[in-house]
Amino acid sequence: MSVTTPLQPSRAPTLQTVARALATAFPDSQPAEHEAPLETTAPSIQPTRLLSADVIEGRELCAIAVSGEAEVGLAAFLDGTQRSEVVRYVRGVPIIWGTVGAVIRDRRERRLHTWRHVVEQRLYAPRTQLSDAEWDSLGRAGYPLIDSSRTASGEPASEHPLALREAVVNRVQQDRKRAEQRLAVAWCDAEDRRLLVDGGISDSDPVARSSAAIGVVKSHRALYVSGAALAAVLALRERERSSVFLVSPERRASVASWYLRIRDPRGRDPMWGLVRVEMASGPKGADLTRRADEVSRWILAEVAPVSLPDGRWHTMLYGVRDCEEFLRAIT
Amino acid sequence: MTDFLENTQPLGRVVATERKPNTPHEFHFWTALDSPVGIGTIVRVEGAHPVNGQLPEIYGIVVEGFSYTDLMTPLHDMLGHDGTPGGASMSATERAEIRLYTAAVLRQLPEEPLQPVPMGRVYLATDADVAVALRMDGYLKEGARTGIPIGVYHAGGTDAPIYLDADFLLGPEAAHLNITGVSGLATKTSAIEWIIQSIFTHFPASKGSVAAVCFNVKGPDLCFLDQPGMIDDTDRALYEKCGVTAEPFTNVQYFAPYKSDGFSLNTLRSNDALLHNVTSLTWGLREVLQYAEVLLNKDDVDAKADALIDFIRERVVDRDFSDAILGNKRYIVRSFADLEAWFRDVLVALEGKNSEGWRTHHIATIRKVRNRLSNISTRCAGLVTDDGAVSDLPFGSFQDRTVYVIDVASLEEDAQDLIFARVVTKLREHLEKRDLGVNHVIVFVDELNKYAPNDGQDTYVRKMLLDLAERGRYLGLVLFSAQQFRSQVHRRVVGNSGTALYGRMDADELATPGYAVLSPAVKTKLATLEKGQLMVRHPHFTQPIFVRFPRPAVMRGRDGAEQYPQAVELDLDAAVLRSLRTLDSSITLNWVRDAVGIRDESEIIRARNATLRERPADVKKFFLAQLRPVVAGQQPARVPSPAIRSAPADDPYGF
Repeated sequence: MSVTTPLQPSRAPTLQTVARALATAFPDSQPAEHEAPLETTAPSIQPTRLLSADVIEGRELCAIAVSGEAEVGLAAFLDGTQRSEVVRYVRGVPIIWGTVGAVIRDRRERRLHTWRHVVEQRLYAPRTQLSDAEWDSLGRAGYPLIDSSRTASGEPASEHPLALREAVVNRVQQDRKRAEQRLAVAWCDAEDRRLLVDGGISDSDPVARSSAAIGVVKSHRALYVSGAALAAVLALRERERSSVFLVSPERRASVASWYLRIRDPRGRDPMWGLVRVEMASGPKGADLTRRADEVSRWILAEVAPVSLPDGRWHTMLYGVRDCEEFLRAIT
Repeated sequence: MTDFLENTQPLGRVVATERKPNTPHEFHFWTALDSPVGIGTIVRVEGAHPVNGQLPEIYGIVVEGFSYTDLMTPLHDMLGHDGTPGGASMSATERAEIRLYTAAVLRQLPEEPLQPVPMGRVYLATDADVAVALRMDGYLKEGARTGIPIGVYHAGGTDAPIYLDADFLLGPEAAHLNITGVSGLATKTSAIEWIIQSIFTHFPASKGSVAAVCFNVKGPDLCFLDQPGMIDDTDRALYEKCGVTAEPFTNVQYFAPYKSDGFSLNTLRSNDALLHNVTSLTWGLREVLQYAEVLLNKDDVDAKADALIDFIRERVVDRDFSDAILGNKRYIVRSFADLEAWFRDVLVALEGKNSEGWRTHHIATIRKVRNRLSNISTRCAGLVTDDGAVSDLPFGSFQDRTVYVIDVASLEEDAQDLIFARVVTKLREHLEKRDLGVNHVIVFVDELNKYAPNDGQDTYVRKMLLDLAERGRYLGLVLFSAQQFRSQVHRRVVGNSGTALYGRMDADELATPGYAVLSPAVKTKLATLEKGQLMVRHPHFTQPIFVRFPRPAVMRGRDGAEQYPQAVELDLDAAVLRSLRTLDSSITLNWVRDAVGIRDESEIIRARNATLRERPADVKKFFLAQLRPVVAGQQPARVPSPAIRSAPADDPYGF
C-alpha cells in the first residue's frame, strides 16, 4: 500500500507500470487494453429501499422552513474516489488494479487547500482461481495483493467472471470508505471546526459521535420515510427541511438525520436538490431544532458556486466537487 | 510570498499537456495566485532528471499568461448566482482558479542536446540567474568586461542591472541602436541621453575613446545636456544600481547656424548664460558644393548640369581660373559671391559673342546651374555664407566622452539635410583616416522615419543613412536613431540596428507585421508601458527583455527653455556685442558702436565671424583689424576762381 502526503511528490505506480510488471511475470497472460474502469461497466447498484426511522423532532415528520439566512459554518470537506481497472488476464482470470483516494480540503480565506490526503493502490486477484505459483508470482510483483475470491463480507465470490469484477468493485469501495473514515477520524481528533463528509457518517463510531462531522448524502436509494412522511419530504420546497429522525443502522452508530432541499425543485423531479443530512445524535428538543437549522444554514451557504458541469450538481456541494477534482488530479 | 521573493522556494511548476506541449523554445508553468510573476518576468526551471550527467536548468521569460477556473461555461457561474452578480462575493468558496503562464526559453544548460523543456520546479530568477539567462556572463567577466548598463530588470525581489555588450552596441561585432515609441512621453530622448551617459561611464578604456554627435531636430530637446535636471530617489537608486553618476554631461559643445539675418544664432540655447559653449556653424562655397546633390533634386541635376557642377568644383573653385572668352581675366572663386560674379561674366561674354555654348556646356545649362547654386545661399541662409566664412565642428580634434550637439531644429529641411550629410560624411572620412580625435562616434538622429523613410524617393540622406547602418560599424561610426513608427523606417536601417529599444507603442503600429513575433500579452504590455520602461532586444538576448531606466540627470528641454529663455532679437550692434563678450567681457555696446561706425552689415558680420573663429587674445584689436579702415573726412581744397578781368579803360559802355 502506498500512502502519500501533500508535501511528498507522488511516486505511486501507474497502471502502465503494473501492466508491464505483470506481463513480465506472466508472459502467457493477455493484456487488457483500453478497458473502461469497472465502476462504469460493473456498477454496484444498491437496491432501492424504504427504511423506517424514528422521528425525534416533534411527533410526526413534517416540513420545516430553515430559520435564518445561510451562514458559513463548514470549514472543510471530505470525499473519496475509487477506480478499478483490469490489468491482465491470467488464463481468463482478471487481475485488477484498484486505486482509492480520499482527501480533506480545508477552506482558508475562501480557497480550498489540502488538509490531508490518502492514496492507496492494490492488486486484486481471486486466490482460488490461480495456482500457487501464479499467486506467488503476483505477490512477488511488489504490490499489495488482495484475495478477491471472497466478498467484503467474507462470502465466497462466484466464479462468474462478471461476479468476480463486481466483487472487486465492492472490495475497492470498502477500501475507499475505510480511507475516508481514517481521514474523518483524524480530523475529528485534531479539529473543532466542522467537516462536511460526502455521504453518511454512521460507518465510524468516533465520527458519528463527533460534533465536528456533518454528513451529506446525495443519493436516495435508501429512503428513511414512507407514506405521508415520504410525501412531505418530496414536497419540500427550497430552504425547507424535514423533521429530524434517528437513523440507527445495524452494527453502526445512530445519527440524527433530516432531509433538506437546497435548490428550488420547481419543474424538476421531486428529488432534485434534495439531500439528507447526518449529524451526531446528541441534542434533544429545542436544541435539536436549533442545531438542525444551524447545520442546514451551513449547507445552504454552500450552494454556490455550483458544481457544474457535474451531472449531480444540484446536490453536490462545490467543496465536495473540489475534493473529487483534487483526487482526479493525483490518482 | 516572501520565499518566492527570496528565490528560495519554487513559485511554480512546469506543466505540459498533449494539447499544450513544451518545446525547446517554449514551456508552460502554473503558479500560486499571489505569485509575483507577470509578463516579462524571468524564471529558472530546475529539471529533475540529469541530461549527460547534469541536471538541466532552463531560463525563460514569461510571454503569455492565462487564468481560468473549473467553469465549463460562463452560464454555469450565472446560474450559480441566480443571475445576481453581487451574489458572487457571498459564496463561501472561491472557485478553483489557475494562473498558467507561457515562457519563451532564453537559455538551456546544458546547451546540448537541445531538448524540450522538462517538467520541474520554477523559481524566480536571481541576479545571477538573469546574467546567465541573458548570456551576460560572457561579457561581464573580470578583465574582459564590456557591459554597458541599459537599465534594471525588476521582478519580485530581483533588481538586476541589464548590460548590453559594448562590442555589439558600438561595434565591431554588431552596432547601432534604434528606439521606437509614441511621441510625447519623453522616453526616446531620455533613453538616448541615459544610454550615452552609461556608455561614457562604462565604455572600456581598452576599446578606445568615444564621442557623440547629436542632431537636435525638434524643440529644445537636447539643448541643456550640461545642465542638471530633476531626478528622484528612485532614479538615484537606478543610477547606483547601474554604476553611473547622476550628473549632467560635463563636456558638451553646441553648434548652431545663424538665422537668415546672419548674426543671431538659430537655436533655443541662445541665453547669454549658456553661450560659452555654443559655436556658430557656417559653411562657405567649398564646403557646400561637395554636397550640392543633397540640395538639388534629380530634376535639377541631369547629366549636363552634373558635368558643369563637376567642372566648377574641379576647375574653378579655389583655383586660379582664366579663359579667353573672359578676356583672360583671372578669377579666384572662394565664395558664393565670387561664384555669382564668375557666372555673370561668363554669361555676359557668351551673350556678347552671341554664342550658344562654352567648353561643351550649353548656355541654358549654365543659366540653370547658376540659378540653382545661387539659390543655395538663399535657401540655407545663416548656414551658408556668401563670403566663404567657415565655422565648423572640430574635425580632427574630437574629445573623448564629449557630446557635440548640432541644433538644426529651426532650420529648413534643405539646410537640415545639408548639415546632416556633410557632418556624417566628414565623420566617416576622418574615422577612415583615423584622425578624428576619437575612435568611436555615436551619431544620434531623431525622427528617422523622416530621414530614412520606408517609401518615397531615394534621397541622398537616406542613402547615406543606409551606408552608415551597413558599413559604419567597421569604422566606429555608430547610428543611434529614434522614431515614432519603426514600421515606417527603411528596413535596412532598422534591420542593421543590433540593439532595438521599444517604449510605449501605438496599437496601430503594433498591428504591423514587424511585431508579429511578439505575443499578444507582450504587445499589450508594450502598449501600456510606463514612462521610464523599455523593451530591449540585443544580439545576446534570445527574447526581448523589459527594463526600467532612470530619468537622465540633465535638464529637460522644456525646463531649460523656461529657466533659460531664448535671447530677444537683437540689432546688429547688440548681437556683435553679445558674441564678442563671450571672448572679452570688457567690451561694451558703445565700444562696438564706435568700432563699427557706419560700415555695412556684411563687413561687420565678417569681422565678428573672423574674431569668433580665431578667438584672439586681444579681441578688440583683432576685431578692429578685420574692419576696413574708413577714410577720414577731408574738406576739398578750394580752387581759387580766376579774377574777373577789369573793364578797359576805354570801354564805351563802361559805367
